[in-house]
This record gives sequence, C-alpha cells and structure tokens, in this order.
Amino acid sequence: MLAFANLGSQTSDLLPLGKAHLRDSAQDGARTLETFLAEVERKAFRIAQIALRHEADALDVVQDAMMQLAHRYASRPAEEWRPLFYRILENRIRDVQRRRIVRQRVMSVLPWRGEDAEEEMPDPIDQAPAAGPTPAAQIESDQMIQALEHALTELPGRQRQAFLLRNIEGLDVAETAAAMKCSQGSVKTHYFRALQALRSKLGDFTI
Amino acid sequence: MTSGADNRSDGFSDALDEGAAAFEQRTRQLLRESVEGLPAHTRSRLTRARYAALAARPSWYSGALRRWVPAGAGALAAATLAVLFLVGPRGESPVASVLASAGPEDLEMLADSDAVQLGRDGDVDYDFYEWAANEAKGGSAPSVGT
Repeated sequence: MLAFANLGSQTSDLLPLGKAHLRDSAQDGARTLETFLAEVERKAFRIAQIALRHEADALDVVQDAMMQLAHRYASRPAEEWRPLFYRILENRIRDVQRRRIVRQRVMSVLPWRGEDAEEEMPDPIDQAPAAGPTPAAQIESDQMIQALEHALTELPGRQRQAFLLRNIEGLDVAETAAAMKCSQGSVKTHYFRALQALRSKLGDFTI
Repeated sequence: MTSGADNRSDGFSDALDEGAAAFEQRTRQLLRESVEGLPAHTRSRLTRARYAALAARPSWYSGALRRWVPAGAGALAAATLAVLFLVGPRGESPVASVLASAGPEDLEMLADSDAVQLGRDGDVDYDFYEWAANEAKGGSAPSVGT
C-alpha cells in the first residue's frame, strides 16, 4: 500500500504543473460540490415530498436534480449552485406533476384501469414512521406537520415554492427570485399570499 | 452562501405583523424538524443519490476535452474552408480562376436557353454544326460524314 502511495505521489510530481493544478482544483471542486449536495439533499427531498406527496417520486426528483447540477453546472461558481439547484428541482417536480396528469387522463379512458392498483400501493415499511420516542408532544407535532403539508399542497405552485424555499432552505428574497426565475417583487407577492392562505386555513397554529 | 432564514432583515419578514411573524416562525420550526427527522432509509437513499451524482460529474480532463476539442475542430474546419476558398488547392483562387478563364462566348452560351436545350438533345448532329461553322468562316471544311 505504501508503495502505491509513493508511486502516486511520484506520478503526480511528474505531471505538468498546469495539469496538476487543474486536477487539484477539480478535486477541490468535487469536495465542495459534495458538501453542497450533502447540505441541501434533505431539504430538497422535503420540498419535493410536500409538492409530490410521494416518497419515491421525491427521491427520484432530488437525484435527477443533483445529477444534472453535477453534470452540467459543476463548473459554475459555487455561489450559483443553490438557486440553480432549486430551479432544476422545481422543473423536475413540474415534470412529474405533468406526467401524473397525463397518466390520469390516459388511465381514465382505459377499460382495464385499476388492475395494477396493487403496484401503486405504498410499501408499509417505507410508510412507517421513523423510529424513536413518540410522546404526546411528538404526536401533536406530527399532526401539525401533516396539517401544514396538506395546506401547502393546496397552495398554487409558485406560492408553495416561495414559502418552502424561504422556510425550509432559508433562501433570501434575491436567492428565491433567482431560483424561481422571477422578480423579487413577485417573490414577495407569492410569499405573502402563501402566508395569508396558510394562516386562514390553519389558524394560529401554535402548540 | 446563504442563508438568512432567521434573519429578520432579509426582505421577507419586514412587512409582517406580529401574528404573521409568529406563524411564520412556527411553521419554519415544524418544517425544519421534519427535515431533521427523516427516517434512516430515506437518508441512506439520499446519500446514495449524492454519490451517484458525484460520479456523474465530468472529470477535469474530460471537461477540458469537451470544452476545447469542439472549439479547436471548429476553428480548424473554418480555417481550412477559408484557405480553400481564398487560395485554392493550386495556389490560386478557384473563383478568380473560373472567372478569368471564361470568355464572353461562354457567358453568352450559358445565358442562351436554346444552347442549353441543344446540349441536352441527344439527336443533334454535331458534325453538321461544325461543318456549318467552318463554311461560315470560309475555311475548307471536311465533308460531312468523313
């Protein structure tokens, strides 16, 4: 193993200075990208899960968004990744929603619809709640998050997007506008309308 | 990079009244708790997805190749076309050489639709036309058919 390590170091010494610099900067870029993806993946999953109400679809959407960011935009400055990533994610979410609409229309006219309904049944193990203590406060919190998710799914897409980017990912107005590809004024409008709609549905929403 | 989710001066929460701000704070807390409380199998699948995405990232040399090879090939093709068009394979411009070698008769023939039709006709007796042209010049032409 040590011999291989020495060979590796000798090989890197033999590389031309420019190529070694390129390789080192690429490795730094990969580490930076991994850190970024590790930071956003859970939040992105929750955003997709709330929008799609389906865990497997949400996982697929997040993986697609990560792969596209890594494949096409990894060379862009790291400061641009966050809005780019969430823009890709939202596009993927819309793609899935459109496919669902088309599938529902097609299935509604097919005579043998419903025969494969068993395949659509969620895996009970996947649907089981996370392990851990479930005191009364946890149950109440779970009920509240379910109510919040339900209310969020009833929002128009742009309002939901602005609300989640702000409150899950923590983007500011400028970053949210970049992610949503609209003006900052539009972002504020979407956000405040979302907030008003949620308040009217959920009330004070305090424990 | 970011993020000012709890920062009150980020432009989002400036216009909120007290009740709206409290509601926003509560929903944010719930959403973040739900992010932190993701089940282990979901976190595991997200980690695998991240590694797959990183594996799909182009390496530095393939990125450099992808960036420079098409540009170099395009520049080379453009330069070759420019040289062939302006200089020609034997050192002269093909456009200029064609125009220089073309006499006024050639241009008239190209413009004459009858001549074009004549050239397309397979039954034309070219010997007769050659004889007639020589007769018109007053020269001694060979007899037709010899």
